[in-house]
Amino acid sequence: MLPFPLPSLLFVVKLIGLILGVLGIVLCVRVLLVRPGDLTSLRPINLGITTLPRAPYLKLVAFAALIVVPAGAVAMANYHVFVGVEEVRGCASCHVMWPMANDMLNPQSGTLAARHFRNRWIADRQCYHCHSDYGLSGSVDAKMEGYRHLARYVTRTYPEPIRLRGHYLNRNCLNCHAGMAKFEAVSSHHTVGERLSTNQMTCLNCHGLAHPSPAARTPGSPEYAGLMTRPRLGEPR
Amino acid sequence: MNLTVPALGAIIAFVITTLFVVYPVPVLMALFTFVAQPLFLIVGLLYLSRVFTELRAKDVL
Repeated sequence: MLPFPLPSLLFVVKLIGLILGVLGIVLCVRVLLVRPGDLTSLRPINLGITTLPRAPYLKLVAFAALIVVPAGAVAMANYHVFVGVEEVRGCASCHVMWPMANDMLNPQSGTLAARHFRNRWIADRQCYHCHSDYGLSGSVDAKMEGYRHLARYVTRTYPEPIRLRGHYLNRNCLNCHAGMAKFEAVSSHHTVGERLSTNQMTCLNCHGLAHPSPAARTPGSPEYAGLMTRPRLGEPR
Repeated sequence: MNLTVPALGAIIAFVITTLFVVYPVPVLMALFTFVAQPLFLIVGLLYLSRVFTELRAKDVL
C-alpha cells in the first residue's frame, strides 16, 4: 500500500501536457533566438551528461521543439478528444447536451437514461456505454462524424432540438441485456428477437423514451428552460 | 537553416494545445483539432523540408 493516493489519469495527462506545452514554447523561443553564426560555432555546450558543439546542440533543440515535443503534446491533448469524451462530464461540456444530462440527474425522470444512471445499472461513463458506436469515441467513420458534430457545435450551425443522424442500433442495448436471465425470461423478447437483432424495430418501441422528447427540447417549450440549466455533475461516476 | 516560421507556428500551436489540455472545453477542442494539430503537421513538414534541403546542399543525400 502506498502512503498516498495515486493521482488520477486525467491529472497526469493535464500535468504532462502542461509540462510539454511549456517546454515546447521555451524550446521554440530558443530556436527563434538562434543567429546564423551559432550554426557554424564549435564552442562546446555542456549538457551535464555530455558535451556537444554548439551547432549540433541547436539542431537537436530544433528537432525536439518542432518534432518530438509536439508529438507528445498532441498525444496528451488527444486523450481529451478520444478518451475524455467518454465521461458524462465530457458530453455535458456542450450545452446542447445539457437536457440529456439534467434528465439523467432528475430523480423523478422515467427515461431509460435516467433509470440506468440513477440505479447505477451502468457504473460509469454512462453516455458512452449506450452510445459507443458513433461520435469521437467510436470507429474511424464515427470519429469523422464526431468532428462534424464538433464543427457544427462551435459554429452554432445546428438546429434545436438535436436529432440523431441515422439510426440507433439495438446492439448498444443487447450488448448488455442479451443473454441475461431477466431479459431471456420475457417471452416477447424471443418473439421479436430477429427484428431486434436486425434493427427492424427498436427497444424504445416498448421501453419508452431514452431521453427527453424532442418537443421538450425545443426552444420555447415549457420544459426547455429547466432542461437547459447547467447540470450539477459531481466527480466522475 | 532558418526556422523562424516553423518556430512561430509551433508556438501558436503549443499555446492552443496547452490551453486545451488544461481546460478541455469544446471551443478549445475545436481550435486544437482544426488549427493546432494541422499547424503542428505543417511545422513538422517545413522542418523536414529544411533538413532535406540542407542535407542535399551538403551532398549527404
